[in-house]
Amino acid sequence: MSDVLHLLNGGAGNLAAYLAAHVLLCLLPAFFIAGAMAALIPKASITRFLGRTTPRHVSYPAAAAAGSLLAVCSCTIVPLFAGIYRKGAGLGPAITFLFFAPAGNIMALAYTGSILGAEFAAARFVLCLLFGIGIGLLMALLFWRDDAAHDAQTDTLFADKASIGPAAIGVLLSLVALLVAGTLKLWPLSATIATVNLPLPWAEAWQATLIQWVPFDAAKGEEGVSAQGSLLIVLLLLIGATAWKGLENIVEGANRWTWIALGLAATTLGVAALRLTPHAGGLQVALTGRVVAVALTLWAVLRYARRLNPEDWQAWMWESWRFVKQIFLLLVVGVFVVGVIRQLIRPEWIQALAGQNNLQGNAVAVVFGVFMYFPTLVEVPVARMFLDLGMHPGPLLAYLMADPELSLQSMLMVAAVVGRAKTAAYVGLVAGFSICAGLLYGAWVDGINPVWLALGLAGFAALLVAALAWLQSRHQRAVAGS
Amino acid sequence: MLTVKILGSGCANCKKLEAVAREAATSAGVEAEFIKVTDMKAIMAYDLLSTPGLVVNEKLVSSGRIPTQAEVRQWMGA
Repeated sequence: MSDVLHLLNGGAGNLAAYLAAHVLLCLLPAFFIAGAMAALIPKASITRFLGRTTPRHVSYPAAAAAGSLLAVCSCTIVPLFAGIYRKGAGLGPAITFLFFAPAGNIMALAYTGSILGAEFAAARFVLCLLFGIGIGLLMALLFWRDDAAHDAQTDTLFADKASIGPAAIGVLLSLVALLVAGTLKLWPLSATIATVNLPLPWAEAWQATLIQWVPFDAAKGEEGVSAQGSLLIVLLLLIGATAWKGLENIVEGANRWTWIALGLAATTLGVAALRLTPHAGGLQVALTGRVVAVALTLWAVLRYARRLNPEDWQAWMWESWRFVKQIFLLLVVGVFVVGVIRQLIRPEWIQALAGQNNLQGNAVAVVFGVFMYFPTLVEVPVARMFLDLGMHPGPLLAYLMADPELSLQSMLMVAAVVGRAKTAAYVGLVAGFSICAGLLYGAWVDGINPVWLALGLAGFAALLVAALAWLQSRHQRAVAGS
Repeated sequence: MLTVKILGSGCANCKKLEAVAREAATSAGVEAEFIKVTDMKAIMAYDLLSTPGLVVNEKLVSSGRIPTQAEVRQWMGA
């Protein structure tokens, strides 16, 4: 019985720690950014670069951009993937899009950055971009015959032109600024400007109760629940309740609950940016630079949002709410389960299997990523657990590259659209490239001479360019011959 | 009698779209048959870039977003 209790406690502790300030300051803006991207960026502003006649040096980067800007949810991924493949630029860009979308979208990157550190997020972004284009090119090379025999049907699917309105750009930029202001751990943001002592004698007792409820072991990298965290959890529950009434039917217009929910969301961000420390006889409230930055950026968001027309604004709110409904619950359950499992895994196992940056460690990480399927974004807390348990950053990155790209869902999808042979090739390539990515990043963390690393990356880029040239000439011959 | 098709793999937006379309039909007093299309190939035949898509009498009227009930009523010709 006490064992079960111990496990449940692990889960609850992990969950509570995730809902603490630094994660909320990242997730809450990220949901709104994802919603704004889905609702405010016209798809044609990017997809017009994905037509069949587009040259390769434009279509591959455009496919990656589409993955990162448009495809936060599978509703967009599947039709866009099928469209690029069958009626647009072909197999290569479609694969690039598919590879880059789950790892390169704003939510995945922001979340990776706040849980695992900015370095991991940057490595994930750069290596996914490079290898996504590489895998797309290789697939196009392997199956070039297939692309030459393209769906001959002419259509205007990718011909539309559209641009993003200035108000929408303002909203997006100020939301990104909000995300940065909330998550960066730099001097002007973390500095304390003023402190106020509130005479709340129960604050210290409440903190003691929380520690009793969720005991934690700081040596194992666990975090407990702070008094501030408990306040944030209450605010979150309130947002959930009011958003259900205010945002569920937002397409038909805003109501009173909409404003309450949005006000609560802004309040939550403000509270998360404060630093609350209970002490004997009261609660110390520290006003940080972060509070000022968050308030300023929130004001900017509001200013630009007021210039959006009502349909855009409502669509934005709906998409953000839909992402919350779709992802947040999964994330909460996933984080809880990770906390439970963590109590069962011995650090020695992880260290023996993937404690070092070698071929075996990276391969194990990739195989694990392929066979375990985690819902959207849950791979990040799983990765955090492995990192705490002593996994080397190299294999960890290999796992982060392989897991979202090779989920069962995405394999089935690729198979349905392009067939089994191409799916098998894709899976093989992703596994191989992920191992390479892990080895590279691991070597960099271990302090390899950057010259070697730069040479390696340059060699890879040269290989890509050569492949591109070969593909081009082959295509021209195929077209001339037909 | 209208034929209304909802295109989408069954994600949250498709369900919401179906609810909006059904309510619009009921409130406008239009008789309509609702068909859910989940097969990817059948969906792609309508030339859309993102689901959910709404098809009224074989014509794609909206895609990639959730229209308001008023818009749907207009497309249904009520």
